[in-house]
Amino acid sequence: MHYKYKKILGNTIIYLLLLIVFIFTVFPLFYTFMGSFKSNMELLANSGRLIPEKFITDNYVQAWKLANFKQYTFNSIFLSFFVVVGTIFTSTIAGYVFERGNFRLKNFLFAMVVSSMFVSLGSLTLYPQLMTAKFFGINKSLWGVIIIRVFGLNVTNLFVTRSYIRTISPEIDESAKVDGCTFFRIYRSIIFPLLKPLIATLAILEFRFAWNDYLMPMVFTLSNPKRMPLVVGIMNLKGTGAAASSWNLMLAGTSIAIIPMIVVYVIFNRYFIKGLTAGAVKG
Amino acid sequence: MKSKTNWFKKDSTQAVLMLSPMLIGFVLFTYFPIIYILRYAFYDSNGIKDTFIGFENFVRVFTRDKTYWNSLLNTIILSFGKLAVEIPLALLLAVLLNKGRKGTGFFRTVLFMPTVISAAIAGLIYSLMFASFNGIVNGMLQNIGLIERPISWFSYKGSAMFVIGLASVWNNFGINMVFFLMALQSVPQELYECADLDGVNPVQRFFKITLPMIGPTFQVVLLNAIVGSLKMSDLILSTTNGQPGGKTEVVMTYVFKYFFGYDGRTIEVGYASCMALVTAVVLAMISLIYMKSSKKLGNSY
Repeated sequence: MHYKYKKILGNTIIYLLLLIVFIFTVFPLFYTFMGSFKSNMELLANSGRLIPEKFITDNYVQAWKLANFKQYTFNSIFLSFFVVVGTIFTSTIAGYVFERGNFRLKNFLFAMVVSSMFVSLGSLTLYPQLMTAKFFGINKSLWGVIIIRVFGLNVTNLFVTRSYIRTISPEIDESAKVDGCTFFRIYRSIIFPLLKPLIATLAILEFRFAWNDYLMPMVFTLSNPKRMPLVVGIMNLKGTGAAASSWNLMLAGTSIAIIPMIVVYVIFNRYFIKGLTAGAVKG
Repeated sequence: MKSKTNWFKKDSTQAVLMLSPMLIGFVLFTYFPIIYILRYAFYDSNGIKDTFIGFENFVRVFTRDKTYWNSLLNTIILSFGKLAVEIPLALLLAVLLNKGRKGTGFFRTVLFMPTVISAAIAGLIYSLMFASFNGIVNGMLQNIGLIERPISWFSYKGSAMFVIGLASVWNNFGINMVFFLMALQSVPQELYECADLDGVNPVQRFFKITLPMIGPTFQVVLLNAIVGSLKMSDLILSTTNGQPGGKTEVVMTYVFKYFFGYDGRTIEVGYASCMALVTAVVLAMISLIYMKSSKKLGNSY
């Protein structure tokens, strides 16, 4: 009897704790969604209330039509699409070449690439990156961001694909080689199709990264606001002096930016968690 | 003609050709920027005109620019302060959600959710929530009578750092929770069964079995978390942007502003490069010290 009470008490405390963390987690999201249905008047006057007194969808209409969010959304989709598709090819090719390829300086090049990981410059390489992009005339559109992200060789992705390809039996390549397949042909017809599960993971990871990216697209669209992706557009709205009068737009815009991400997460949540953990533990 | 096709068909040639676009990209966008920063650290440059000035930039960082060191100190305080909450919270949740308790799947999915949201957006949501006049936090606190007049969260260094830390914990604890969950799943069940037979209580069980068993993962997760937090930038730009009066500036945003002349500063590429270099060295040193001092954690079993 005593033991049973103790267990019930223990469970109650645990669930209470989980409930608190649950509220902490969900509250900001719930606040954003609810706020996006409030009029600006209500947002500013009755700030202690979570649920709107009157649900209006006008904020979305305004954000979409007047505040350029239609354009921002298109830009975000554009950026994410090309980053995801491009990275899938470059990452798997790089992983394949470094794992199965045989050429002079391979190990040296690999060491060079990996060693760059230890230079923690974070967002501080943005300026020289922009200068390089300027040299090639790609510093004023999202193409610059796409090219840097796709061809810049992400070390984490490289590790993940390389170790995944290592698990594929080399005998498969060998027999294809005997049949006269070239190195590239083996990648295209044998290895790439076998990478499907990994590709799903890579795609999700890159989507999250590209959709959420802020500083690089901001720098590349500074002089070209029409090309801003969602995150940059929203932050731009916050930065302009009219911030207080555009709370409704900021909240609606934020919802437009995070809903697709959350939907993708809920549907593909398994791949999300697999990808994020694979990257960090291997790296 | 025949030899040419053979050359093209050679596996090593194809390998190099396949890799070359990425190698060029890597050299241009990863290697070149590092060299650029190394070079410009010794120059005075406004982005147009460059003058070699030797170690003058370094002298300036180390002797005259107190704000830089303050921002570095802020970064360290903020990072370790928020990790002191985030890491134990993530570990506790992982332990609670590891066993077949009812609803674990649901909680895992929901608690991970903020992790998929952009740091800039997370900062924006928190800055709206904690806004002094129209923010919902003040509104609710006033409604329940806890405070009489609105708290001006972003006007004081302490409270501003608290909100930034909270937003960062919100945005990041999920990923660490998932890392810990993965590590916990690899702990052999027999160990716990033996411990149960010996009548070990849950607290002892955690410190004597769980923690040592996940030690190596813990070491890596903490390193990633430390380096990640020290490189924080988006969250600051979207909450306080360094306000009030540069008191919440972190090192990445401080240097960033010199590069781009952002936020009313003049562009000083040379000086910014020098600070970037110093920052990279400091971060490397912190990681190194961490690796040395956490060795025990890594080989605890």
